[in-house]
Amino acid sequence: MAKARALDRRRRSVRNIRKITRTMELIATARFKKAMDRSVAARDYTKQLAKIMGNIAQAGASVTHPLLAVRPTQRAAVLVLTGNRGLCGGYNSNVVRQSVALLGQWKSERVAANVAVSGKRGISALKFRGVDIAETYTTFEDKPEFAAVAPIGQAYLAAYAAGEIDRLDVVYTRFHGIAKQEAVAEMLLPLAAPQASDAPAKAELASDAYDFYPSAETILEEILPASFLSRLFKCFLDAAVSEQVARMVAMKAATENAGGLIKSLSRQYNRARQSQITGEIMEILGGVEALKK
Amino acid sequence: MADQKNSGAIRCVIVTPETTGLDTQCRSVTLPLFDGGRGVARGHAPFIGRLGAGEVRVKGEQGGAADAVRGVFVEGGFVEVSHDTVTVITQRAIPAEKIDIAAARADLEKLTSTKAVGDEALAARHKAADAARALVRAAGRGR
Repeated sequence: MAKARALDRRRRSVRNIRKITRTMELIATARFKKAMDRSVAARDYTKQLAKIMGNIAQAGASVTHPLLAVRPTQRAAVLVLTGNRGLCGGYNSNVVRQSVALLGQWKSERVAANVAVSGKRGISALKFRGVDIAETYTTFEDKPEFAAVAPIGQAYLAAYAAGEIDRLDVVYTRFHGIAKQEAVAEMLLPLAAPQASDAPAKAELASDAYDFYPSAETILEEILPASFLSRLFKCFLDAAVSEQVARMVAMKAATENAGGLIKSLSRQYNRARQSQITGEIMEILGGVEALKK
Repeated sequence: MADQKNSGAIRCVIVTPETTGLDTQCRSVTLPLFDGGRGVARGHAPFIGRLGAGEVRVKGEQGGAADAVRGVFVEGGFVEVSHDTVTVITQRAIPAEKIDIAAARADLEKLTSTKAVGDEALAARHKAADAARALVRAAGRGR
């Protein structure tokens, strides 16, 4: 009886685990939808900013701005975006691997790196690898707010303008679609110079020439930081969406796996029980035969 | 399109980094540019401008009274006017009726009573106080 009972106990515990993973999958799905909606809602802002920058570039404003200045990299800043929680497949480890590769590159080039990490998982993983972390954030969950991201961005802008850093990379998981997310290191500073918008925009009315108040240059000066902040915010949003997708997929796999495990445990349990019953019948029969003699 | 022309409607869109705050058809929009207000109605020449802190006033929204005004407080940002569309791009937009007037007054009080030393700190305080004053003004009008 001992073996059958042990199997039954294991099966029960796997069932409980399956219940938990299924619930987690449902929660991740709901959170993913919310995060996705926020990410979509945020797209308009970036699009409009890009449109204005394109128009300014088209108007032929001379583009010189401290944020556009490319300097030889001597001090780099790296911002790593991971999750606060695990159980999401390779989401955190991929980002950590990517950031370790980047930090290794800076080390081999003798560039001093200022590392900031968001998310408990990334903090502990990088600490374990002996990375010196200057700044940590653990408040960003599935709903990053612009008001919370902006101060971080402002600090980087100030540091870049003051020449304290020559480059800023953000390591995060880019969201391409529900089937594809990848950990990338993206350079946010120095900013790429604004490009004139594409040909179709030019083909519009002749009266489309814009007036600028106060002037194209002044507006550009103000719009560049705003564009940087919106790009940084998009990184946070992408990371949040990707985390939920990763958790959804991981928990779905775990639920399915638990199902398979239960099936095979049930089979083993039934077999064990049957053989036990057979054994008992044989014993009784043996006893009856012995009494007959 | 034809009846839009008759009613003289323009489209007003306010976007913030997190969401599109407002997207509506209306008769005219008053914008708080960095150096003063500017009204935009149908057929305005295209321009791009920098905004100060103040209230965007949307007048005569479709489906409402012709002289009804909806106020939205914005703190800086940009505006693009072209093809009878006003696009306001700002980091912060609050509908006037949702401003907490007591909190806004308290903020202004705090800002004006703190001391700032040095040119940069002075300029920063001046800017913050201007924004707070504009917020209080917009809240007062929203009542």
